[in-house]
Amino acid sequence: MNKIRYYGGCDVGSTTGKAVILGPEGIVGSSLIPSEIDPEITARLALEKACAAVAGLGNIANLAYLIGTGYGRNEVPFANENISEISCHAMGAFWCDPTIKTIVDIGGQDMKAISVADDGSVREFAMNDKCAAGTGRFFEAMSRIFRMDLDAFSRLSLNARKTIPVTAQCSVFAETEVISLLAKRNPPADIAAGIQNAVAKRCFTLIKRVGLKPRLTVTGGCAKNQGLLVELKRMFQIDIATLAVDPQLIGALGAAILASRKG
Amino acid sequence: MSTIKPGLSDYLLFNKYRAINLMNIGRMAAKHGPLDMHRDLNQYPWIWDLLEVNSLLKRLVEGRSGNYRKAVAMILGGVIDGVIELLEGIFYRSDRLIIHEDLLPPEIFRAMGLQPFAPELLGILLPMLVPDTMQKYLDAAESEGIPPDICSLPRATIGMALKNVFPEALAIVSSNMPCDGGMSSYTIIARQLNKPAYWVDIPFDFKNERALEYFAGELKDMIAWLEKHTPGRMDWERLKEICEKRNTMAELELDIWDMIRHRPAPMAAEAIWMSHLWFFNINPGYDTSIKLFTDLKDLTQKNLEAKVSAVPHEKYRALLWNPPTLHYIDLMAWAERTYGVSIILDSMSFNRQPFIDTATPDSMLKSLGNIIMQGPMSRHTRGPAEANYFPDIFHMVKHFDLDMVWVAGHIGCKNTQAMSGVLREKCRDAGIPLLVIDYDLMDSRITPKEGIQEQVGNFMENIMKAKRLF
Repeated sequence: MNKIRYYGGCDVGSTTGKAVILGPEGIVGSSLIPSEIDPEITARLALEKACAAVAGLGNIANLAYLIGTGYGRNEVPFANENISEISCHAMGAFWCDPTIKTIVDIGGQDMKAISVADDGSVREFAMNDKCAAGTGRFFEAMSRIFRMDLDAFSRLSLNARKTIPVTAQCSVFAETEVISLLAKRNPPADIAAGIQNAVAKRCFTLIKRVGLKPRLTVTGGCAKNQGLLVELKRMFQIDIATLAVDPQLIGALGAAILASRKG
Repeated sequence: MSTIKPGLSDYLLFNKYRAINLMNIGRMAAKHGPLDMHRDLNQYPWIWDLLEVNSLLKRLVEGRSGNYRKAVAMILGGVIDGVIELLEGIFYRSDRLIIHEDLLPPEIFRAMGLQPFAPELLGILLPMLVPDTMQKYLDAAESEGIPPDICSLPRATIGMALKNVFPEALAIVSSNMPCDGGMSSYTIIARQLNKPAYWVDIPFDFKNERALEYFAGELKDMIAWLEKHTPGRMDWERLKEICEKRNTMAELELDIWDMIRHRPAPMAAEAIWMSHLWFFNINPGYDTSIKLFTDLKDLTQKNLEAKVSAVPHEKYRALLWNPPTLHYIDLMAWAERTYGVSIILDSMSFNRQPFIDTATPDSMLKSLGNIIMQGPMSRHTRGPAEANYFPDIFHMVKHFDLDMVWVAGHIGCKNTQAMSGVLREKCRDAGIPLLVIDYDLMDSRITPKEGIQEQVGNFMENIMKAKRLF
């Protein structure tokens, strides 16, 4: 009897660790955990959790092939290979929907625009990794000002009656500006719409560098921000494709798919 | 870490050039004498950075072997010889010393019997030797109110002037090129040094006979001004001799360029760009420069005939657009070792008008003017880009059979930053992979070498699908 071969992808991000296990039927296990200080520990915990969800797999060592990705990918010593998260996001999104041509990946500490080729490889990419504005960290800071959790904040702008422009492109200055707007008793929802609009503009600039081709999707943790998606759709004037897989897992999924091609 | 292990002859060659460099610096110091050397080291503290030449040599030859290694070591040795000659000019010919902006032709100053000193060359050379050495000058300029978004080359030059580390000169000549930052820097330098200054006006629309006549007239006026303010006198026969020797250098360089069209290239990187940068811009028309290009051609020829690739695992051939990453100058050696990328040619070396018509004084001035106007930093910062900028890039890609374009996207260069977006679209349409490296020319605090490596790595692995060679 042939032994079932499982393939793993592990995306070690700055904020969360993600793992996906692929079996013959597709995704058979996954996990999403907050990042530890040590990326190796994050990777191990995420993988152990994902492996535990797969009956008969046992531990990480039983994976036929494992690919590490994300900013901490070089700290995953038990991976067979490390691949850039840019390629993994492209492959993950392509696997979910082969019509995807453009991706905006908004993670905890960077933002990327990726143009996807017909085979799921990367055609072009652009990234903003020098500034926190427009990343998950930025939204965390903003939601703190509003005394809300991220989920509540992401929905706040959906109730806006107008958009109050938030001009600052820097997270630190934006914080000051938003506090000032709140102090002037502007409606929080309208300010939140301004914040979402400012981030959408940053995405727009980045996407212009790689060229926008439909269909477009958003991956990474910030893809769960409903207010941002609405603003992006309004700005790009095209639909944003919703993937069948949790958008935060797309990098790990792409890594697992690439692993399955190696094993 | 490298998979390329140099052989015994490579070690011997490295040590030979290491010894030559130290010997030449030591000989200069001994000739100058301890007291004068001590005084001048205080006056020009940047001289200390020269002692790092062998650290630079080590970084540049790492992973390189044979004739390629020899060529790189030889070019660097020649540059150091040139710096020593410049220092001796500063020490012993101060009665003939003039400061000039780097786009003005040194051939003219030499022919006038003057000792030229282009301050920008320190901004180019010093960060190669000591990557963070210019930070103190950048900070000095900013402390005096110079905006931090001005190109770091003129900003560092201003900082050096404000810190009083330039030699005493008789006069200053500059031009309206290559950018606003460059122009403004000379206003401050002239004020700080309190010396008479002259600005040459280089016409914006440079592709016609009227512009050539005008620029030649400007150069004539500059010569007359220099004759009035310095003891220099134009010797047209001397200029002819210099220009003819420069033509010989250009012939040799074109022969080398013909050879590097072959795949894999028999010579690359510093052997190509550093040789042009220094010897055509600082020491054109020198016998030593001709000797160096003759030797470089011989080494290239030998590699070609023996079918030896400069980069042992040449997998990709790239064009470097814009000045190289000065504070991480061993980027090219690293990219060779890591991904098998061979930097074949660069925008600062490529010139469509390399020769000087030496028939008459007027023809020489017009040719020198044409070299400047059609050269890098002039031609590429003036519109229309469709006629001047993109055609050069795509011509080089085709002519030298290149796989990709790397733009050293110096954030201080507004002109080229503005072009990057359009270049992206053009390259996309032409199917040419394009990497724009976000960094600052000489301030490693903006993007350190690890950040540059990461950008190159992301590009190579995601776009070129390259595997690391180690």
